[in-house]
Amino acid sequence: MTRRGGSAASARHKRMFVWTVVVAAMFASAPAADAYLKLGTRIGTGIANLRFNRFPVRYFVTNRDVPGVTAPQLQQAVERGFASWAAIPNTGLSSQFAGFTGAPPVNGDNANVIGFSTRPDLDRVLGSTSFTVDTITGEILEADIFLNSTFAWSVAAAGEPGRQDVESIALHEIGHLHGLGHSMLGETELFAGGRRVLGAEAVMFPIAFAAGGINRTPRADDIAGLSDIYGNDQFRNTTGSMSGRVTKNGTGVVGAHVIAFNPATGKMIATFTLSDDGAFVIAGLEPGLHIVRVEPLDDADTASFLEASFKVDADFKVAYYTRIVTVPRGGTARNVDLTVTAK
Amino acid sequence: MIGITLLLVLPAAAAAQPYRGVHPPPPHKGSLELGGGVFWAGGYDAGSADANETTAGTAPLTLFVVDGRMKSGPGAAVQVGVYLGRRVSAEATFHYSRPILQARVTSDFESAPDVNVDGTVTSYLMAGSLLYHFGRGRLVPFVSGGGGYLRQLNESNADLLTSPEIHGGGGVKYWMGRGSRRFGLRLEALASARHKGIAFEQKRRIVPSFVAGIAYLF
Repeated sequence: MTRRGGSAASARHKRMFVWTVVVAAMFASAPAADAYLKLGTRIGTGIANLRFNRFPVRYFVTNRDVPGVTAPQLQQAVERGFASWAAIPNTGLSSQFAGFTGAPPVNGDNANVIGFSTRPDLDRVLGSTSFTVDTITGEILEADIFLNSTFAWSVAAAGEPGRQDVESIALHEIGHLHGLGHSMLGETELFAGGRRVLGAEAVMFPIAFAAGGINRTPRADDIAGLSDIYGNDQFRNTTGSMSGRVTKNGTGVVGAHVIAFNPATGKMIATFTLSDDGAFVIAGLEPGLHIVRVEPLDDADTASFLEASFKVDADFKVAYYTRIVTVPRGGTARNVDLTVTAK
Repeated sequence: MIGITLLLVLPAAAAAQPYRGVHPPPPHKGSLELGGGVFWAGGYDAGSADANETTAGTAPLTLFVVDGRMKSGPGAAVQVGVYLGRRVSAEATFHYSRPILQARVTSDFESAPDVNVDGTVTSYLMAGSLLYHFGRGRLVPFVSGGGGYLRQLNESNADLLTSPEIHGGGGVKYWMGRGSRRFGLRLEALASARHKGIAFEQKRRIVPSFVAGIAYLF
């Protein structure tokens, strides 16, 4: 089980806060991500997305070895993680390794630091991302990632049984570092004392595969989320979106997980209903035909995705939209309204 | 001298006489034929796909399965033809239909009931054909072949797919009346091949269709 999170500290109009967003192998219990796939900071009644405004993102790696992983090996895995996100077209992301440092990955030093920390108190948390942000604009001023060396780690190319894969977890945390929240495109099952991942179609799913598993490639859902934050006009002109509502007994459902599946490409992109009227928008969809499915948020703790203020309704059955939805290039398919019934 | 003149004049006089054969007069070069009617287009497999999630192992986790099918359905057809000779005509055709694309969603990982999810497609086919006619009676069999341009839009006109199309087939025309201007009935079976169209999977498909209508020759 892994957790990843973030924090931000105030200086002038900067404010510090802490997120722990989790990749959990067995449990998920994490402070809040703000909304669908993106982290944000409240400004009055609105929310500003957290994002870097200046590139390349310069980062340091803590010069500390742990059993099975040297600091240079960690740096190489982190570099591959940054490269995987930067490879997403039409986002303009870039990064630069600034060097090794003796500093731990904690906030307040005006440097983005990634490294191992020993945190036996966080026995369900594999990694965490913390932030310093400009609370006026949402600009990320500093972000730090720690991987919890309480766990056993590996950089083996094919993964290593019994050890967590550094690149997979770093990739997830670097997603947070860029402002992504959690995806719920995954299936889990409960077992004694925890939750086990059966499948996931996003590296931003909050619970990691069991030790030894690898998850090193951003999927369509991750790409859509990152592109929603950093995408340029090319992205917006070549993709489309859909919008609608999820209702039960005539009233909106909050926290419903809506999945758009494109049978022609096999890609899935999802979102949540985030307002009392059950409204949702899924952006970053490839133009074409989509099947739309809605399910309750029941594969991880709701706190892994949404603030506690959201009154999530998970008491409904899985349902499908009765029409095939055609997403237009550069436009929106509207009125995708799903009706669900209580379990 | 007189004999030669008669020989020359008689054929001309014969040509000027009304046609009195046992068959209706055959069309000639420049004859026009207008037609219209209904057609029925066959359904076809529109592709299938699994909504898969990655697992720690090699086999994916399938969230649900989609099987697509374009359902068969009716449409309208119009033809305008011009005869290039007694047996051969060139024809422009226009087909319009609104078939239903249906996705059968099954095997939901969380045991949701199987459902059918539909979408209406608007389909236009503009084509040109050459027809070769056999016989000269009331019942005139013919074969045809040609190519065209297929244009399909989904119900919100948000998605447009176009494709070249080729087709071949045959049928019969049954002419009523004996004049050079006459109505007839037309039945035709066609196989239409196209490599694109609104579907979950793009591949070459052969779609059967049957046309029934009336024709007017003049």
